[in-house]
Amino acid sequence: MLSDSEAAELLSFLTPSTRPDVKGRATEYILGLSGHRDGCRFLQSKPDLIVALFVLTSDPSIAIVKDCYHIFINLSADETLHQVLVKDVKVLPVLFKNLLDPEYPFSDQICTILSNLTRHEKTCKTVFKELQEEVGLAQLVQIFCTEGYNKKAKLHYLGPLLSNLTQLPEARNYLMDKDRCVVQRLLPFTQYEASVVRRGGVIGTLRNCCFDYAHHEWLLSDAVDILPFLLLPLAGPEELTEEENEGLPVDLQYLPEDKKREGDPDIRKMLLETLLLLTATKAGRQTLKEKNVYPIMREFHRWEKDVHVTAACEKLVQVLIGDEPEEGMENLMEVEIPKDVEEKLKEADAKEREELEKDREVKTKPNDSPPLICAGTIRISYFVSYQSRN
Amino acid sequence: MASSEHSDSDDGMDEFMDKFKTQRYKNAFSENNWKEEFDKIPMFMKKAPEEINPQEYPELACLQSIIHDEDRPPEEQAKSLKDEGNAYFKEKNYQKAVVAYTAGLKKKCVDQDLNVILLTNRAASHFHLGNMRSALNDATAAKKLKPDHLKALVRGAQCCVELRNFSEAMQWCDEGLKVYPTDAKLRELRAAADKHRRAAERDARKAKSKEKKLHGEKEALLSAIKARGIKLLQPAKPPQNGSDSEDEDERSSAAIAELSLDGLSSQEVTGAQVCLDEEGSLHWPVLFLYPEHQQSDFISAFCEKNCFIDHLAVMFEELPPWDADRKYLPQNLQIYFEDEQKETLYQVDPEISLLKILQHKRYFVKAGTPSFIVLVKGSSYWKQFLSGRKINGL
Repeated sequence: MLSDSEAAELLSFLTPSTRPDVKGRATEYILGLSGHRDGCRFLQSKPDLIVALFVLTSDPSIAIVKDCYHIFINLSADETLHQVLVKDVKVLPVLFKNLLDPEYPFSDQICTILSNLTRHEKTCKTVFKELQEEVGLAQLVQIFCTEGYNKKAKLHYLGPLLSNLTQLPEARNYLMDKDRCVVQRLLPFTQYEASVVRRGGVIGTLRNCCFDYAHHEWLLSDAVDILPFLLLPLAGPEELTEEENEGLPVDLQYLPEDKKREGDPDIRKMLLETLLLLTATKAGRQTLKEKNVYPIMREFHRWEKDVHVTAACEKLVQVLIGDEPEEGMENLMEVEIPKDVEEKLKEADAKEREELEKDREVKTKPNDSPPLICAGTIRISYFVSYQSRN
Repeated sequence: MASSEHSDSDDGMDEFMDKFKTQRYKNAFSENNWKEEFDKIPMFMKKAPEEINPQEYPELACLQSIIHDEDRPPEEQAKSLKDEGNAYFKEKNYQKAVVAYTAGLKKKCVDQDLNVILLTNRAASHFHLGNMRSALNDATAAKKLKPDHLKALVRGAQCCVELRNFSEAMQWCDEGLKVYPTDAKLRELRAAADKHRRAAERDARKAKSKEKKLHGEKEALLSAIKARGIKLLQPAKPPQNGSDSEDEDERSSAAIAELSLDGLSSQEVTGAQVCLDEEGSLHWPVLFLYPEHQQSDFISAFCEKNCFIDHLAVMFEELPPWDADRKYLPQNLQIYFEDEQKETLYQVDPEISLLKILQHKRYFVKAGTPSFIVLVKGSSYWKQFLSGRKINGL
């Protein structure tokens, strides 16, 4: 790595008044450093460099600004740098201010950085707090849901940002505020074809929200009506009988012949998990049974080829067609499980995963969902999106 | 009344009071209709009269002219008119309220807040009268003057819902929620508009699916007819539904349209049309004509596999009332069809199927309803009918 004097020299090249070609070389070099772990750790020890780089995000040269933003995306992907970025460099106020600007050309990069910063709970809490102070989650959702808010940036990565934020109960409560209209605005995006990132982010957000079973009744009521938006991506063009059709939610009736299902298997799995979460309470189970979710799942099961997704579908179907649990066990999220049963369940689950893994390439995806029934209260594991290094 | 105890008081009160026993009070209400007279005094009126006749209600007319004095500044006049409108609104006299608010707006006063209220109130009046378009216009104008006026925003959304313009209703709600994020009415309206919108989309999908099914059935019918080599006579008039038919099969759908048009235009006016059954057989509406007696019989569904003798045997089991000569016995009947183009009559063998007849190279189905002439063999009418005509035998 660089010596202290070399680092100091590098720092001197990172001032706004430096010759553009020198500036450019310096930022290029640092971009290279930020691409791997050692480089990041080195930069962590030199906060002055990072501060200088952040100042350069206002540089007149677009190439320099672009490089700088890429550096920050890489730095934010490494959790050990989060404190430096947020506390020492104080990136958040500037990032939020630029995000609100409908003309800012690098808003997509900002969204990616924020998404990375919110992966882990600690920094997520800090980001959320500052977000509420400077922008407000409602406004963030508004920006996200306004088509063409920023002509130069698509803002799709606000999706993963939202889903990361919802690992915090305070963010979920704000999103599901009964007196406001916030979560409702996200629902149409479960079928947003133009971006898998946006779509996945929204569905991840909804999945996290459904961990709070206290909100289930409201989510399933007319005030929000979350169910059709979860089912539509899973519903296909197959014709159902007149009777089955009439019992479905309005949005799922008489679907056209060219109706396509969600293409990404991970998203399909998330949708099924969200539906499964909604069956935790007796009222939720009743609603899903009444609204003819079963026929949709039946046709889906016939169509689905991915083993992991099929497994999730089967879990849901089991609840839909199974008997009601005994008295005292109606809320599946609160069931007390005896130790030995818990052990057996864990074993069975592990075995199932092993078998499924044999058929599928292992991808690095942290925070996979645990089985629904666990010891004591449910082990909370939220969907948090993974941003890879550039 | 009069106190008997203090008869000799100093102030003359007793004498004064005693007078009432004998003297009438001047300008008193008449005993008979004091109630009506009571109601005429402005202060005690429960309800204002529709029209104020200065002769009958001089006090009211006076008050009115004070209120509507043209010399007062426009703001004051407009405010009075607003109050007047509000009073009418309370009485549910929405027509009059509209008049008052309109007059208030005409004053064109510079107080925009007042104008916004006049517009919003007029919008409410129009809403209750069912004039949704006018109400929406007023709400829009109010919103333009004051974009954060909650009543205008709510009213605009409500009008859009009544006009079944649900997407626009949601836009109004969202505009409102930006300024008033916790307003319950806006939130409820938005949810309701969204529900209606999605129901309307479902209805459109349902209609489309039914139309497609119907179209498919029509296509199947036409191709079944074509496959059998049966010729349909095209009418002289051009198809009427040119703009409605889809581009891809304009020709076939035009032909189907004609088929149904013609089927319905048949004189029997039964709406009966040829149809395809589950086994793939066609059933035709068929006319039997009896020119001798100017009579006809209509079979609504003659299966192509059946032959004439089957139907004739049933139809003439009991001789019809118009058959005075009692001669229309099944075994005596002869069936013909007419080739109009060649002006030729073709005799039909009653023992062969309808299908075979329809497939005859000179048979054209007219108006979607095959028709056949029935005569009694050897009768004088028969001789007369067939003389001088070209006939093609069996």
